[in-house]
Amino acid sequence: MKLTRFEKAKIVGARALQISMGAPILIKVPDDIIDPIDIAIKELEAGVVPITVRRKPPKKREEIPMDRGKSK
Amino acid sequence: MKALTEKEVEKMLMEHADSLPDVILEDLKREALAAGLTAKELETVLGDVLKRTEYAQVEPGEAVGVVAAQSLGEPGTQMTMRTFHYAGAAEMNVTLGLPRIMEIVDARKQPSTPMMTIYLEEDIREDREKAKEIGNMISAISLSDIVEKTETNLLDSSITFRLDTKLMKSRGIKIEDVITRLNKSKIEVPDYSESRIVLKSKTQELRELRKLATKVLGTHLAGIKGIERALVKREKGEYVIFTEGSNLKEVFKIKGVDKRRTKCNDILEIEKVLGIEAARRAIIMEILDTLNEQGLRVDVRHIMLIASAMTVSGTVRSIGRHGISGDKASVLDRAAFEITVDNLLMAGVKGEYEELDGVVKNVIVGQPVRLGTGVVELTMKMDKPKEAAK
Amino acid sequence: MYKTIKIEDVVRVPPHRFGEPLKEVIEDILRHGYEYKGGVVGGYEGLLDRDLGVILAVTDVESIEEGRIIPNDGASYHKTVFNAIVFKPELHEVLDCEVVDVVEFGAFVRFGPIDGLVHVSQIADDYISYDEKRAALIGKTTNKVLEVGDRVRARIVAMSASPEGQREGKINLTMRQANLGKFEWIAEEKKKKEEKAPKEKKGEKKEKEVKDEA
Repeated sequence: MKLTRFEKAKIVGARALQISMGAPILIKVPDDIIDPIDIAIKELEAGVVPITVRRKPPKKREEIPMDRGKSK
Repeated sequence: MKALTEKEVEKMLMEHADSLPDVILEDLKREALAAGLTAKELETVLGDVLKRTEYAQVEPGEAVGVVAAQSLGEPGTQMTMRTFHYAGAAEMNVTLGLPRIMEIVDARKQPSTPMMTIYLEEDIREDREKAKEIGNMISAISLSDIVEKTETNLLDSSITFRLDTKLMKSRGIKIEDVITRLNKSKIEVPDYSESRIVLKSKTQELRELRKLATKVLGTHLAGIKGIERALVKREKGEYVIFTEGSNLKEVFKIKGVDKRRTKCNDILEIEKVLGIEAARRAIIMEILDTLNEQGLRVDVRHIMLIASAMTVSGTVRSIGRHGISGDKASVLDRAAFEITVDNLLMAGVKGEYEELDGVVKNVIVGQPVRLGTGVVELTMKMDKPKEAAK
Repeated sequence: MYKTIKIEDVVRVPPHRFGEPLKEVIEDILRHGYEYKGGVVGGYEGLLDRDLGVILAVTDVESIEEGRIIPNDGASYHKTVFNAIVFKPELHEVLDCEVVDVVEFGAFVRFGPIDGLVHVSQIADDYISYDEKRAALIGKTTNKVLEVGDRVRARIVAMSASPEGQREGKINLTMRQANLGKFEWIAEEKKKKEEKAPKEKKGEKKEKEVKDEA
């Protein structure tokens, strides 16, 4: 499955924040790249970001008990 | 290279059954067979179709409602604010442009200009005479339509209606029918001839006489109630009846009317007669036609969303405070909309529950809105760093 | 009473510790907390909970769920179930304690991680006086002596809830009941009783009960 643009944005954002907070970097980065966002994008492109997307089914199915139909 | 057989085409298409909608698969199959495509050609076509389908898809998390609102709102600013006269053989007054859109979206009880387009069944489609006959049958005629002159005589307190015999003939109305009709509505007719009807009143007052006259003049004689005028026009090789006013239920009872194609612009009437799904389709068609008539192009999917939102509940509801926004179940939505304190207080008294599943509610609470990047939930894969470290 | 309990909590693992083995990090955070804005937050060991008592040790981490990432924080939050040993003093509980301090108005005794007070009036059925030089409490007629380091058995008679932030509330104990007091006194008493009425069952039974409870 492809990532949606929202998922990409969120992953890069979260990962960049982690990197800026001292998380170990998982790819080799040239010395001139120091922006955590750039590093996060590079990691995403390399497919090594240690983050999983949790996709939820749109909505739980609602079960309506039969006694709702009972006339009061 | 040989053209593919039906089975081969099916096999190739089935591989993409998950990524393409059924309608497109069907179309592809039909067209591929008709064109006699080879395997390689079909592959190229499929590749293109897949790419376009993917491009057309909406990503989960997209704020489709807002986009739909904008997509319809912007062209709305370009539309005429006036009602136009329908350009045609005989002009019919039809509400168009912005007023018409508002009418649909507000789910008005009756459109300001109700109208129908009646199609005929296959065997009589091209029969002009038959079409005219049905047209005459449908348009409602009351006594006032065939009365040329009304004479009130105060001396013997009688009213005399002079009838337009020519018109009666063309409409196929006989004087006997008129009399039976009048008798049915409990009006005694002491004297009549081919061209006149005389009524007697007990009182001598002029006012009473006038009252009686208007009552009698309104008597429905023939045709279908609600349909004021019927026009037969040739369109795309067949005769079509356009009417002013609408009455789907009665029109459907007439023999020779094609019930599948006959249209009506009164959405609530369609809902009543054909059901909610038909009403949804009608909303889509009406909005689309109105926009197209003004030369505006809006993607159907926006309109479909609006139509779906109006009909999800099982009845047609308007967009706005009296419809889908007004009776929202959620406490915070209602509180954000009107009389905040009272709504919150009552919710507290009743012990209501707030799911926080909407935009406004999460803004109120100060949480990220579950939209766009807000719907994405992330978890850490913790094993990964260890592996990478090694 | 000492208990082992199972606790469920969400543990925040800060990004700079992502490289370390997850279980060790979480165990460490559960035990000692994590640094936050210059201080240390969390950490179960030594924590005093109104309902649970004092948490003495996190023994083992039972399960760790996948870490969730929350907006505006780079850390991952793991729902964790772990076992811990807690000590919670109960009213009327009989405890074996050590005398840690003797003052004019009584003796402070330590049981587990908590200190309590045995008031002078509750030390023995005797007139007790305070010997300042020895830092001991001495019975006038029985010559019973209570000093720092003595092992005693006492019963909790009163507890007051601790105000927030304080490690423990005030706990008052007594030793003026049968089979309570310094271990030596109990042994003496027992001997005396056996000499007097060797077949008296009542006393034996009571003693047994007390021992079980302890």
